[in-house]
Amino acid sequence: MNDFNAARDIPILLGAFFVLTAAIGLIRFPDLYSRLHASSKLITLGSAGIFIGVGLEFAQTEALTRLAAVLLFQFLTTPLSAYLIAQAAYLRGLEPLLEGPDEWNALGKAALLDEHLEERGGG
Amino acid sequence: MRGVSLNILLAIVWTLFVGEFSLRELAIGMLLGFAILSIFPLSLGTGGYVRRTLAFVRFAFFFARELTVANIQVALWALRPHPPLHPMIIAYPLRLRGDNGQTVLAATITLMPGSVAMGFNPERSVLYAHVIGAENPRAARASLKKVEDALLPLYGQDATTTPLENTA
Repeated sequence: MNDFNAARDIPILLGAFFVLTAAIGLIRFPDLYSRLHASSKLITLGSAGIFIGVGLEFAQTEALTRLAAVLLFQFLTTPLSAYLIAQAAYLRGLEPLLEGPDEWNALGKAALLDEHLEERGGG
Repeated sequence: MRGVSLNILLAIVWTLFVGEFSLRELAIGMLLGFAILSIFPLSLGTGGYVRRTLAFVRFAFFFARELTVANIQVALWALRPHPPLHPMIIAYPLRLRGDNGQTVLAATITLMPGSVAMGFNPERSVLYAHVIGAENPRAARASLKKVEDALLPLYGQDATTTPLENTA
């Protein structure tokens, strides 16, 4: 407990906090699509915090370059898997729990275009 | 391509001057080389490269800020009782054209506040996204528009140019 190092331990603690909330959100959010929000965003920043803390612990070039590569691939792959999971679930007919519209399903192309033009005209 | 190659070349020249080939000296060389390229953009023909690099740095800061906001927001929703999720699926008409820009946009909004990319229409002109925490589809589209605005200077609206070809 005596060797608390703020630069190293605060990123790790923050990262651990975000990973914990990701786990809680994964259980508490109502359906697969909402749970993806928790797993994609929170896990990315949470693990980034832990990696940064570990990288600062070692503070060597080799550790930092590997850290950069790990972060890069984390940021590349997490959104991709979330996208594929959401798309596969939706296309196979898993009903989302919605309180708003489902514009993928409901809006015809013409209706979408009308609204788009209206928004552009107003702005 | 010209800008990137010149920048790497200048970085290597710098390591020769310093007499030490290390990652640190290479990084310093890249920064110094970038300064030279931005001071003489006309004679070196690197204006496009400098502009896009600066746009990328601006986007990186924007991204870091939005990612932090997104995480605090979703973390609070995960912890509080009865989170105001209002889930909906919105259609977002794209101004970005081209595979690279649209891929980066889809990945970015997945990491940003309240939206997860779900798919494109067959013509690749509309992005479908699952959105939580937005009042209505219009507000959700406005927050996606902020991201697209930040990406437009990087990727442009023209379908025929990829970002690397812009530098030549």
